[in-house]
Amino acid sequence: MFKVLRRVLLLALVLPALAQAETFVFTAIPDADESRLQQRFGKVADYLSTELGVDVQYIPVKSYAAAITAFRNDQVQLAWFGGLSGVQARRLVDGSEALAQGYEDQFFKTYFIAHESAGLDAGETLSEALKGKTFTFGSKGSTSGRLMPEFFLREQLGEAPEAIFSRVGFSGDHSRTIAQVESGAYQVGAVNYAVWEKELANGEIDTDKVSVIWTTPTYPDYQWTIRGDVDQRFGEGFKARVREALLGMDDPALLESFPRKSFVPASNSDYAPIEDTAKAIGLLD
Amino acid sequence: MSPHKTLVRLRHESLSLGGHKVLSDISLSIKSGEKVALVGPSGAGKTTLLNLLYRRVPELCALQPQAGGLVDLLSAYQNIFMGALERVGTLAALWNLVHPLAEHRREIEELARLLDIEEKLWSSVDRLSGGQRQRVAIGRALYRKRPVFLGDEPVSSVDPLQAEALLKAILERHETAVISLHNRRLALTHFDRVIVLANGAVRCDCASSELDSSALDRFYLEAGEDSSVIPGVPEHDAWAIGNG
Amino acid sequence: MIRGRGTTFFCGSSARVLNGVCLLLTLVALLCLPIADIQIYQVDPWAELGRMGTGLIWPHWSDAWELSRAVGQTVAFALLAVAIAAPVGLLLAMLFHWRSVRILCASVRSVHELFWGLIFMQIYGLSATTGLLAILVPFSGVFAKVFAEIFEQQSLEPGRTLSPKVMGLRRYAYTLIPQSWPALVSYTRYRFECALRSSTILGFIGLPTLGFHLETAFKQGQYAEAGALLWAFILLIATLRFWLRPRLLPFYLIIAVVLLPETVGFSNGGYLWQFISRDIWPAPLLAGEWAQATQWYIELFQSQVWPALVQTLALTQIALVLSALVILALYPWATRSMAGPMMRWPGRFLLLFLRSTPEMVLAFVLLLLFGPSGLPAVIALALHNGALIAFLVANASDAEWGGRLSRPDDPSGLKRYAYLETPRRFPAMLAFLFYRWEVILRESAIMGILGIATLGFYIDSAFEEIRYDRALVLILFTAGLNILVDTVSRRLRRLAHPEAHLEASGIDEKVDRDNG
Repeated sequence: MFKVLRRVLLLALVLPALAQAETFVFTAIPDADESRLQQRFGKVADYLSTELGVDVQYIPVKSYAAAITAFRNDQVQLAWFGGLSGVQARRLVDGSEALAQGYEDQFFKTYFIAHESAGLDAGETLSEALKGKTFTFGSKGSTSGRLMPEFFLREQLGEAPEAIFSRVGFSGDHSRTIAQVESGAYQVGAVNYAVWEKELANGEIDTDKVSVIWTTPTYPDYQWTIRGDVDQRFGEGFKARVREALLGMDDPALLESFPRKSFVPASNSDYAPIEDTAKAIGLLD
Repeated sequence: MSPHKTLVRLRHESLSLGGHKVLSDISLSIKSGEKVALVGPSGAGKTTLLNLLYRRVPELCALQPQAGGLVDLLSAYQNIFMGALERVGTLAALWNLVHPLAEHRREIEELARLLDIEEKLWSSVDRLSGGQRQRVAIGRALYRKRPVFLGDEPVSSVDPLQAEALLKAILERHETAVISLHNRRLALTHFDRVIVLANGAVRCDCASSELDSSALDRFYLEAGEDSSVIPGVPEHDAWAIGNG
Repeated sequence: MIRGRGTTFFCGSSARVLNGVCLLLTLVALLCLPIADIQIYQVDPWAELGRMGTGLIWPHWSDAWELSRAVGQTVAFALLAVAIAAPVGLLLAMLFHWRSVRILCASVRSVHELFWGLIFMQIYGLSATTGLLAILVPFSGVFAKVFAEIFEQQSLEPGRTLSPKVMGLRRYAYTLIPQSWPALVSYTRYRFECALRSSTILGFIGLPTLGFHLETAFKQGQYAEAGALLWAFILLIATLRFWLRPRLLPFYLIIAVVLLPETVGFSNGGYLWQFISRDIWPAPLLAGEWAQATQWYIELFQSQVWPALVQTLALTQIALVLSALVILALYPWATRSMAGPMMRWPGRFLLLFLRSTPEMVLAFVLLLLFGPSGLPAVIALALHNGALIAFLVANASDAEWGGRLSRPDDPSGLKRYAYLETPRRFPAMLAFLFYRWEVILRESAIMGILGIATLGFYIDSAFEEIRYDRALVLILFTAGLNILVDTVSRRLRRLAHPEAHLEASGIDEKVDRDNG
């Protein structure tokens, strides 16, 4: 009994373990190549720390929703979001703002890929031949793996994915989408083009088994979003300095983490099409 | 409490368990100051009757069930201390598990001398013999310090000499006592009233001076005709076997 | 009610009762087959499976420090959570005669740790607090229930010798708690192993435990690393008995506190109120538009809750019966009496492997084999839970080996299996199975990754889409379903194993014996 009491007391001391340092914290959605995130984004944190003159930390998250929640709860003040997650996050935090996007994000696209056994050929549009196949998205909250492919499926075939395909799954990750289509677990999948190109370049894809059958039109995607209250917490003009630091990032070793050629300015209005699309397919109310 | 006040009165009480009649039409009353021996063959309903009495006035009684109701993991000291729980606050009671409370310790050590379990006071009771366990159980009942003692064969596992001494101690320390026994000699010499139960009914309820050993044997014999209990041979002690 | 019928109408033959129960469950499972989303697809998994196999055989981890830190934090979360949940559960068990406490406990344990993690993450962010609460809240409910069942089994006599005025903690501290102490301790030990699994799985939503890296490695197809993590976890569980010593506990607890991940950049719990007052309610309800709010709930029920309920229950029932088959097929390979004193080790290892591998990982491998449907989920659940129970059953058999019941002329081999071991183990096996029923249901709800529309699939979607109003409704229905299954299983369990129906003490004695 006494032992028990002692344990309870010990833990009562532990529970409110809430660190309270004035650190500028950022995160990034886990869209691809999650391993060694800490290492890769640690370098970005160091860079920002030098540029901004404050302590900067990166925390890894496991899901899009976790990134949004952390941003909403002020656990992070800056985040590298996808198109959709950025829109969701900015809806939840008044005054938050898209600061910068990758050069490539101005015209991002999704590949539809298929296993060879599905007998689908590459074409200019999505064909009716897709009907009845099995299909996997990436993560449920992904722009390139969920939102835009669903939008184009509806636009071109006039039906919800559940009606087009015999089964719709969510692999949770672009790399896993490729692996699952390559193994034939799903016949068709939608994948972030940048992830596909990178894995293809690394020789990780067996193109005899899986190939691209359609490329979507371009749309805006990833961006850095910052909370509106950072100027109050970190000093006047802090937001502007963060934008400068992001746009000025030119070390290829840093840019490789994203991977982007460079960053260009972005604004909330750049993502209006994404928000409209999300509303159109019922992902946002 | 004024003497001769009626503590419990049972009127035509019957009780069935699983279709089997355990007590039938029992009427009796226990007055304060009485020392009552409850005798009768196994299965006569003595335990059930004691429980019935207990349920009427639980706050006045120290009950000693047949198996003693000991808690194995606790020491003999803690098991006896349990009798005092109602007199101790919760925090003190919890602390006592860690470190014995001095005043209780003194008193219980004294009690242990009386019960001759002094040297076993600090071992957990699962290490004790059947007789020692029974003495710990008596210790707890005594430490309850209630006016009424209800005991279900409280001295069945100790040797006859000790049984007599223990019984004396129990009777001395309680104003009123109802004790079931198999030892008919003890019933006749130490109690002023004897109730004989057989097959769930009261066969005899009179002053012990009106009875003798052979009269008691006759009740056993009569009952034995339908329950096959051999008179004079004490029933085996389930408790002693359980812990042997 | 079922219990009553069993004891009055079927008391002629206990085998007939058991057969009746089994037949009933099998029939239900067969009826579920057409409802459940089960299909086999032509797949081409060999390249991927080959890579997995290679990774498992040649595990590799470059950063030993990171691996050991993940192991340390996995243990830290599990240890601290159990250290809090066990006493809390004990307190709740003392109040278990209150219906409100029973309902509270049933509801908290009906929500999977992962969902608790997602909920607490809304309030406490990605912090040690989130991880601890996600384990200790449902575990407190489980402890309360099992501890209360252990108390129920104790003799009432010691309590009757006390004054009726002695109530509450004083009474428990001197009677039921010391009376049942060995059972309480061994159940807590067993639960610690479960906590290790939960702690690992919480990595899937971002806590820095083994699961964090395991999920990444699996996602990225880095099977050598996934293999290393899996081996580390299996080793951790296999060596429990060597390092989990009561005397070292205080020392471990201090280390665990030190090891807890530092909470970075967490501001405060200021979002708790917003979460409770706004986020979990649909907009029309907050606006006071009752008709629209009702419409919202009805639509949600029709489009998600009802189909998902049916699907979840159907998969659960099939998985339950499959688990029984897995038990019957696997347990003899791990016993001394049938596999032999040496040859049982490969069998025991297989069981250890299956029960230690998170179901999600099993399901992912099976997804590659069978294609996307309920099938991988059902098989994964059956393998995991079946292996866990088979292990307990095998231990029970070994414990009896050479004991009171054995005779020199006992048959061997298949005859022994059919005439001796299986009939002897069957009631306990069923009791364990009914106990796991609730667990299988809870876990089938998290198999949404396979694109099967279980409750978990929709709950996960609701969290992903930041629609906590939907998540709340779905979680409440999940909890309700769980409570229902728990009630039925408790009744069946008593029927199957009227005497020793306490799965808890059963499990533990056996686990301990195995450990000792």
